[in-house]
Amino acid sequence: MPKISLRSAEFRKSRETAWRTLDDLISRVESRGITQLSADELQQLPLLYRATASSLSVARSIALDRNLILYLENLVLRAFFVVYGPRVGILEALRQFLRRDFPKAVRSAIWHIALATIAVAAGVVVGIVLVASNEAWFNAFVPEALAGGRGPASTTAQLRDDEIFAPWPGFIQSFVVFANALFRNNATVGIMIFGLGIAGGVPTLLLLGYQGLMLGAFLALHYKRGLLLDFIGWISIHGVTELGSLILCGAGGLVIAEKVLFPGRYARLDNLARNGTVAAALAGGAVLMVFAAGFIEGGLRQLVSNTPARLAIGLATGVFWISYFLSNRKSTGNGATT
Amino acid sequence: MAQRLDRINRFLDGVRRNRREIISPEGIALEVDVANNGERLTAFVIDFLFWMLATGLLYFMLALLIIERVSGAVAMTIVFFIAFLLRNLYFIHFELTSQGSTPGKRIANLRVIDRGGGPLLPGAVVARNLTREVEIFLPLGLFFSLPRVASGSDFWIAAAYLGWILMISALPFFNRDHLRAGDLIAGTMVISVPRRHLLAELVETEAKYAFTRNQLEVYGAFELQVLEELLRRPASPDTSRVREQVCSRICSKIGWTDPVPPAETAEFLKAFYTAERAHLEREQLFGHFRADKTEPPAMRR
Repeated sequence: MPKISLRSAEFRKSRETAWRTLDDLISRVESRGITQLSADELQQLPLLYRATASSLSVARSIALDRNLILYLENLVLRAFFVVYGPRVGILEALRQFLRRDFPKAVRSAIWHIALATIAVAAGVVVGIVLVASNEAWFNAFVPEALAGGRGPASTTAQLRDDEIFAPWPGFIQSFVVFANALFRNNATVGIMIFGLGIAGGVPTLLLLGYQGLMLGAFLALHYKRGLLLDFIGWISIHGVTELGSLILCGAGGLVIAEKVLFPGRYARLDNLARNGTVAAALAGGAVLMVFAAGFIEGGLRQLVSNTPARLAIGLATGVFWISYFLSNRKSTGNGATT
Repeated sequence: MAQRLDRINRFLDGVRRNRREIISPEGIALEVDVANNGERLTAFVIDFLFWMLATGLLYFMLALLIIERVSGAVAMTIVFFIAFLLRNLYFIHFELTSQGSTPGKRIANLRVIDRGGGPLLPGAVVARNLTREVEIFLPLGLFFSLPRVASGSDFWIAAAYLGWILMISALPFFNRDHLRAGDLIAGTMVISVPRRHLLAELVETEAKYAFTRNQLEVYGAFELQVLEELLRRPASPDTSRVREQVCSRICSKIGWTDPVPPAETAEFLKAFYTAERAHLEREQLFGHFRADKTEPPAMRR
């Protein structure tokens, strides 16, 4: 009987050992993590990956064995994930996010932040002017739940004793329950401000303006009662962080809006993917700031009960955030970390 | 080149999947199957269960540690906080350490990849998971924290949260790559990578039957690969019945006059497969790829 030799069969015979070795390495990494491999095996991995990738190219052009081609495609893809997969753990990734990515995102979105700040500031000015001229506006701007009994009917003594210098209700009540309620409230507003960025950014700006409007209304009310400085102290202790997080949420929404509205030379989705991490970093960082604000507001505000100390803390948090956002400007890594 | 297998894959595997081509940094085109919504839901539900389980366990451990009885609101808050921390750490940790797959995704054979074929960066993993927070969990938590029988403005707020969740979760149904909002923002994509195995070589080393060139020119690559699948099927009465049918069909088509006894059907088919594959691969090397029997064979030299 005549012997048959197929190129594709010969090819498979000569390369199969390498594929099996790679398959074995990849399977071990998939089930127990990359730390399972010895130093030698780690060195082998990229070489085997390239060899198998070139096998795939050859097989595609000379072989008609469907199982072989599908197997090689699958193997190269699985090896690709290991070779080009992320190589940092969660602690390292979070550290990178906090040390580098979040401040960097904030710096790169400086114009969006400026726009969001202007929206809030405009709201504050309008709120002050309208409520100072006629206190009835206060009820129109501030919903019942947020006003908490405060309003045109409040007297100076009420505002001072029940709100600004209210007694501390205790650890559990203030740090756990109250902080959580505030977190939810702020997070809701933050989500809406960020999420509505996809709608072109106008709702984001309106919502930011509305937050400013409420703040302005409160400012005007306390100004009329002669408590302006005390109120600023009371609110600045957490307000700096809280307002900062809302502005960052807004900036994140505006980044999305910009990338979707003005894609430039890219397709809208590609443009969003190229710049989306900035928006996500802003929103993610803002969530952490909301956490911090809830914590400060729930506990520290009632614990520290004189105005100069409160102003100092508010100022200190402001300085802290700004210096944090300006920190780590030099890239310390060696190029892109994978 | 890679698209040549599309038709046969659809024919044999029966599933019609969305496929995308990504180019690896070495410049190799890799075809990936986009994960469908059902698979993603399965993976998410499994992860969700793991997360709830972990949250519950951690809460009970804390509750045992804290002897003092805590009120309902405080307990809820602690659960809320643990759950928040755990779910973010869970998704980010597993997607970073196991090449873009969480335990749920691994069970459903799913992976997260960069849409452009580049390396999956930690920034993208963090971004797509933090967005999940904004997408689903915060609105869901807020929805459930509202009083049960909501009236007035509370009702509309609840409706708004629910509407937001529904809108966002429907997003994967409305784009070709089944991307959720986090994928859009992070530039990632979820694909299905079921594990494949390398099966034994079917080609024989000795030719028991000899076929002429005319006989081999009846079929193309598509028919060859259907035959390959038939030969790789595990032996069963059903398989041998189909093989006999196919064998008689081939004999009549190529004009094979000698009778093939039923016991030798498999052997005959293997020999025919070997000869046909040798013929088609040789032709392919000369630049005459023949997709199926309807394509005219290459000109005789």
